Amino acid sequence: MKALSFDGSGMEYFKIWIVNVLLTILTLGLYHPWAKVRNNRYFYANSTLDGRNFEYHATGKQLFIGYLIAMSLFIAYVIINQISPQGSVVLIAVLFLAVPWLILRSMIFNMRMTSFSNVHFNFTGKIGRAYINFFAYPIALYIGLVLIIVAMTTAISLGGVAAALLGALLAVGMIAFLLFSLAFIKKKNTEYFIDYTHYGQGEFKTDVTLKKFMMISLKTMGVAILVMFVASIVAGIGLYATVGFDSLVALNGTEKNPQLMAEKMKLLLPVLSLSYLGVILASIYVMAYSITQHRKYVYANTSLDEKVTFASTLKAMPLAWVLISNFIVIIATLGFAFPWAKVRAARIMLENTQVNTVDGFDEYLTQKQNQASSLGEQIGDAFDVDVGLGF
Amino acid sequence: MIIGKWYAKGSSAQSDAELQITGDSFTLNVKEGISYSALLRTLNVRSRLGNVARKITLEDGSVFSTQDNDAVDLAFKKQLRGKGLIHSLESNMHWVLVALVLTLASGFGFFKWGVPWASEKIAHALPHVTNQLLADNALVYLDQYIFEDSMIPEEQMQKIRLHFKSQVVPLGASNDEIKYKLHFRLWKEGALSIPNALALPSGDIILTDKFVQLCENQEEMDAVLLHEMGHIELRHTLKMVIESTFVTVAVMMIAGDSNGFADMGVGLGSLLVSSNYSRGHESEADQYAFKHMLFAKMDPIAFSNIMNRMTEYMEMPSISTIKQKEDESAVEVLDYLSSHPSTRQRVEIARQYSECFHKGLTTCEIIELK
Repeated sequence: MKALSFDGSGMEYFKIWIVNVLLTILTLGLYHPWAKVRNNRYFYANSTLDGRNFEYHATGKQLFIGYLIAMSLFIAYVIINQISPQGSVVLIAVLFLAVPWLILRSMIFNMRMTSFSNVHFNFTGKIGRAYINFFAYPIALYIGLVLIIVAMTTAISLGGVAAALLGALLAVGMIAFLLFSLAFIKKKNTEYFIDYTHYGQGEFKTDVTLKKFMMISLKTMGVAILVMFVASIVAGIGLYATVGFDSLVALNGTEKNPQLMAEKMKLLLPVLSLSYLGVILASIYVMAYSITQHRKYVYANTSLDEKVTFASTLKAMPLAWVLISNFIVIIATLGFAFPWAKVRAARIMLENTQVNTVDGFDEYLTQKQNQASSLGEQIGDAFDVDVGLGF
Repeated sequence: MIIGKWYAKGSSAQSDAELQITGDSFTLNVKEGISYSALLRTLNVRSRLGNVARKITLEDGSVFSTQDNDAVDLAFKKQLRGKGLIHSLESNMHWVLVALVLTLASGFGFFKWGVPWASEKIAHALPHVTNQLLADNALVYLDQYIFEDSMIPEEQMQKIRLHFKSQVVPLGASNDEIKYKLHFRLWKEGALSIPNALALPSGDIILTDKFVQLCENQEEMDAVLLHEMGHIELRHTLKMVIESTFVTVAVMMIAGDSNGFADMGVGLGSLLVSSNYSRGHESEADQYAFKHMLFAKMDPIAFSNIMNRMTEYMEMPSISTIKQKEDESAVEVLDYLSSHPSTRQRVEIARQYSECFHKGLTTCEIIELK
């Protein structure tokens, strides 16, 4: 097993980034595709394994037309959104219809434009599958959820013990349904992205089960409840220590006197905002936990031609720390620490990705490929359609 | 001699290789006995980026890759002329600092002057139909969700409308394209009746019952009506739409590649910028009203009187006591977030205009206070 490594540095990337930002501003945005190419080239080429590196091959010219179309659509959306809310709903609906196509096109383009050790990747997913995965399943999930909620509210509105019991049962049913369908969609997406990805003539294959995905979701729920429980106890102690129990009781019954209530609330404000921060930190941790668990499971069950295997050693705590500290540093420096934050994130991801290279890559040859159009990629980028598995 | 790796076309197999350059030709020796000799210009060298491995593609599609960027730059100096421009910006600390300063300055200038200037030009270049389009359904929506029917007697409404049409509109309107129309509505929040005046870009002006009630004389009402007309004449709603389009698109371009966490900061930033613009609009509408009042020989202090009375009325129930306790700095911060200039500032400018009025002037130099 060998881990990937990231050879770039925050300072070196800062120089590239600041020149990119400046040229983008000075050209009123037209430079953006070329800036993106330099960004990607830097991160791909610095991702290395065993003395071999990734490479990003797209050129600014290739991205430019797609970028212009995506930008015009985005500007149209912003304007319509302000003039007529109904119009923007229609636009979103149209976009939603196009999402599976966009995902597929981006995936094909990005894979073909990526190489490792001189051999290109490819993606051969079909459009039909994309519509089932990214359109039909989410809609089915939504309809199912609406049906359960309607049943639940009617049950509760009937009144009586039996109805309340039925309502509670349906609530449990809803959680089970969500658990099942989210895991199901996650499994289908994982399979779609991995099983249709090729490295030269090699084929990726993943073997994931619904049961395991549901287990991970359940565990995440458990961790979430535990973390929130601890966070609220800490907040409670903080509240007791700073404001005291008396003030809390005194707050009761001040509803009639808004002036008094406002004064009492002012005392609580620092503690309340601290608790709010605590909730954000706790949710970042829960998110990191979910990401690392999924990653570990998916990597362990993915192989390239059954000869190359993968593993993820990413742990929730270090990932959460990187995410949280990046967030704080970016805000505190008004965005200028962004290059360092991005390098740190890339480093922790890559260094926790292991590849078993016993057989080596030497037997793989690039397939003949047509140049893919880059349109899908740019629209996806502008509207932030991101369903990636995370590298 | 440049040391690196060689890949056959489409193959991931690495072989050690050495590139030797003499004059305008080269020899590439690969360990397994493969060797190339040709002119330098048959090679395709990728532009430099930081210190990442450099790819040189040969005529047959095979690739020579090396970490020795400096040697490549030196050997291919002629071929790379012009291609390494971006890299020389990126690698020179002076240029990076210049870029940093220019980025800050042009970013600031763009939001501070560029966006308002361009929005102004675009807003006035568009036909008046655009304004009607913006106002379309707005009153219907407000009636449905916010306003109730006015309780003002029909007679009084007629009187105000007549005065507005005959005295105020001719004073402020620059052309007869805009059809001004007054509407009266009741706006209640719980038990509180809200005093306010609103302008729709189509030329519809809405006065709430409480506002009409709080006005003590005709000049006060005219001052506010002129302020609202200022919003319409200066096309503020349209400008707002254009400005926020600029901000959203610019922010999206600069921060589009960032992750979700940075978005929160970005969102706060664009909120600050937008409220800054709308504060500018309020001051503009104020000045518009003051100038026309001076011209019509009305004392601009009327505007500050009605503003003060409305503020007092709104703060009366409970909020006022707490507000006074808040320290200055907190008020200033809130001030920056607010979409209206502080009443204190507006009243001060009205006072200066009023001084001009008492001196019998029809124009006025204003000393802005910060």
